[in-house]
Amino acid sequence: MRGLFNWLENRTGIGALTKEALFERVPGGARWRYVWGSTLTFAIMVQFITGVFLWMAYSPSASTAWESVYYIQNELSFGWILRGIHHWTAQIMVVLLVLHLVQVVIDSAYRAPREFNFWFGVILLFITLATSLTGYLLPWDQKGFWATKVATNLAGIVPVIGGDLQRVVIGGADYGHHTLTRFFALHAGILPAALIALIVVHIYLFRRHGITEAKPASRAGALYYWYLMAIGSVGLAWAAYLFRDSNPSWVLWIPSLLAVGVIVRIVFLHLHGKDDNSARRPKRDGMFWPDQIFRDAIVCFAVLGAVLFFVFWKGTELTPPADPSQPYNAARPDWYFMPLFLMLKFEPFQGQFGLVLGAIIVPGVLSSMLFMMPLIGLKKVGHWVNVVLLYVLIGGFVVLTVMAFKKDASDPAYIADVKKAHEQAERVDELIEFNDGIPPEGALSLLYSDPLTQGPRLFATNCASCHAYGYDDEGNALDGTNKKLSDKQSAPNLKGVGSREWISKVLTIDHYQSNKFFGNTKFKEGKMVEFLEESELEEEDVKGLAAALSSEANLKSQSDIDNKDTELITDGFEWMGEDELACVDCHKIKGEGGKKGPDLTAYMSRQWLVDFIGNPSHERFYGDDNDRMPNFLDAVSTEGDIKPGKLDQKRVELIVDWLRGEYPEKNVTN
Amino acid sequence: MNEPLSTDPIEPDDPERRQFLEKTVSIVLGGAMVSVPVGVGVAALLAPLSSDKGGRLKVRLASIEDLPSDGTPKLYQVVAERKDAWTKYANKPIGSVFLRKIDDSKVVAFNSSCPHAGCSVDINPDGSAFFCPCHASSFDFDGGAQGKSVSPRGLDELEVDSDLLDKGEIWVTFVKFKAGVADKVEV
Repeated sequence: MRGLFNWLENRTGIGALTKEALFERVPGGARWRYVWGSTLTFAIMVQFITGVFLWMAYSPSASTAWESVYYIQNELSFGWILRGIHHWTAQIMVVLLVLHLVQVVIDSAYRAPREFNFWFGVILLFITLATSLTGYLLPWDQKGFWATKVATNLAGIVPVIGGDLQRVVIGGADYGHHTLTRFFALHAGILPAALIALIVVHIYLFRRHGITEAKPASRAGALYYWYLMAIGSVGLAWAAYLFRDSNPSWVLWIPSLLAVGVIVRIVFLHLHGKDDNSARRPKRDGMFWPDQIFRDAIVCFAVLGAVLFFVFWKGTELTPPADPSQPYNAARPDWYFMPLFLMLKFEPFQGQFGLVLGAIIVPGVLSSMLFMMPLIGLKKVGHWVNVVLLYVLIGGFVVLTVMAFKKDASDPAYIADVKKAHEQAERVDELIEFNDGIPPEGALSLLYSDPLTQGPRLFATNCASCHAYGYDDEGNALDGTNKKLSDKQSAPNLKGVGSREWISKVLTIDHYQSNKFFGNTKFKEGKMVEFLEESELEEEDVKGLAAALSSEANLKSQSDIDNKDTELITDGFEWMGEDELACVDCHKIKGEGGKKGPDLTAYMSRQWLVDFIGNPSHERFYGDDNDRMPNFLDAVSTEGDIKPGKLDQKRVELIVDWLRGEYPEKNVTN
Repeated sequence: MNEPLSTDPIEPDDPERRQFLEKTVSIVLGGAMVSVPVGVGVAALLAPLSSDKGGRLKVRLASIEDLPSDGTPKLYQVVAERKDAWTKYANKPIGSVFLRKIDDSKVVAFNSSCPHAGCSVDINPDGSAFFCPCHASSFDFDGGAQGKSVSPRGLDELEVDSDLLDKGEIWVTFVKFKAGVADKVEV
């Protein structure tokens, strides 16, 4: 064994290298405050490991990126934990970066001769942020897509080179395959390579100059840190208090208890701490191994614990597949870009110049100030300027972040959009399940052929200017428009169209003449109203007629009662032709009857509705009596002119299927 | 969080004991925290080991009259509904099969994948035998390995449904076999 080691050592020097790496002197002894660099190294290592494994399952293209991430998240064994660790470590890294920076600045570890190391550190900070930004797009979901669109558009306003820069970054004029391949190459290739190279330099320089020995332990020094921790924990508790409604109660309790503990410690230090001038003990020098590594290991372990905690508590979101035609109002950048996001809404940043100011100049100036710190900090006053500047920056960052989240949390439109986005994400999952996989064209195609998803959208655009589709308890339209119950509606409410309930209302004069049906059309004073007035239908009659007529629609939701109530339905059909005032006088029913009113054969069935929406002025329906409803499919007028329709067959079918409830649903067994 | 005034739990006059404790804790925690991402990653990497096999698939390839009566083999593509990770293909080509008519009541089927290393077997230019272009394995039309063929076994014969064959329809149970071994092992 010994011989083998010597053989290896003589040829590689690995033992000497390990010794050199481990047995570094730590002047003044190991300290907890030195751990942040190690936690970052650990976090990056975790990102490299999980990243490479994710790479084995990820497929960067516009029709496979979301799909492969969906697979990782939902089907690959342990995939969701793998993705979760990668995602949440990225979040925690930002916090660790800030802690590392704070420690370096307050211990003035950036001063000569360590300026270069500081500059490399700042560059590493920006590379890490760039890696996060590029990673955010890779799932090609709505959130990543729209956030990246904003980020790359901001790159596009850079003076002179902006337009070309944007084109190069997104791989063309439009977002697609090459945006993903480029971002992926950046995220998994160029940026990590740069990270490794710079970390090597960073650690080399760190070892060259040795650790900056923090001031010896003293009461004043200790109090300084405890006051920092007090501000941090009180701030955290305050933030938790602001968002108490959207979190379980322990989210508020833990930082509150932490803050109380820190304050108790400060009081204790004030009462019992030893005198300032007599540092407790001039600590002996420590060794990196095991003194410092021991502390590093404990904190790194805590970092991993925090990551796993979030992975299991919050999970890792995957919003619906990117859809450039479907605005996503819930789109937000990653949380650490939220201050910038909010800042761009402020007044000084309006207009073209304002945008350049807010998105480029202000962040540019702040970054430059960060770079200048080693030069500013040459004098003691300069050092304090740096420390104050850093605290102001961090304070501003925190306040803006809280403001941004608070603004969203109290914005009903945003909350509604988030809810809608979640519903849609669930719908995609359902559709994939029903289809037992994703079609080769990608998951978006499932959404585009889903009546439940497309119906409301098409309805909102094409029908909702006249028709309604029901309202919820608060009077908000159920069709995805922002209409209210009080808004004037000029054509019938179509929720439940063709059902017994709906037809019963059409056969009841109060409903028929109300604004929810024909009240704002010329049919308010038509032959149908005369019929309803004169026939004085009893409730029983309406029930039978509605059951019979409704059975023609063949609705999925009524198949049970349609099969059960055969007698009622047969009677209903008989009544239609029997009375003195018979339906068949005006309408065709089962192919026979008058032609004054719309043909009720197969009334409200899929084909009937498609034909009706296609051309309501057709003689089979309203003919010349049609009141304003346009033809949605190409039609030939009575004069022989071709009237182009507003929609195509497929989209009319999607509307019809949605209105009729013909789409796969989770709780319906096929 | 440490603060400089706390007292060490271990007596400072026993540095060796303290160091031993520090080393043990560091190594245990270090091992644990590296094994979490690595373990999860390896578990995901090895997921294919527990996924389903391709399975047997019964497909209709031709009618009896489609095959030449002189016994010349004819190649048919096998297309099936298949899921590739997340994508569901309605018609995905999964392999091909040689069909050869002996007489109206007997048809033999061979998986066209070479039992040597899995290349696609073809018919040689003079039309006298099966021939693999990769390593020059050759098989006679009955599927047996010819002469100095490098293949460890003959072509893999597939099951033809005899009841359906009586009705003139050729249905074959498509199966894939492990290449490079002497025995026919389903994969």
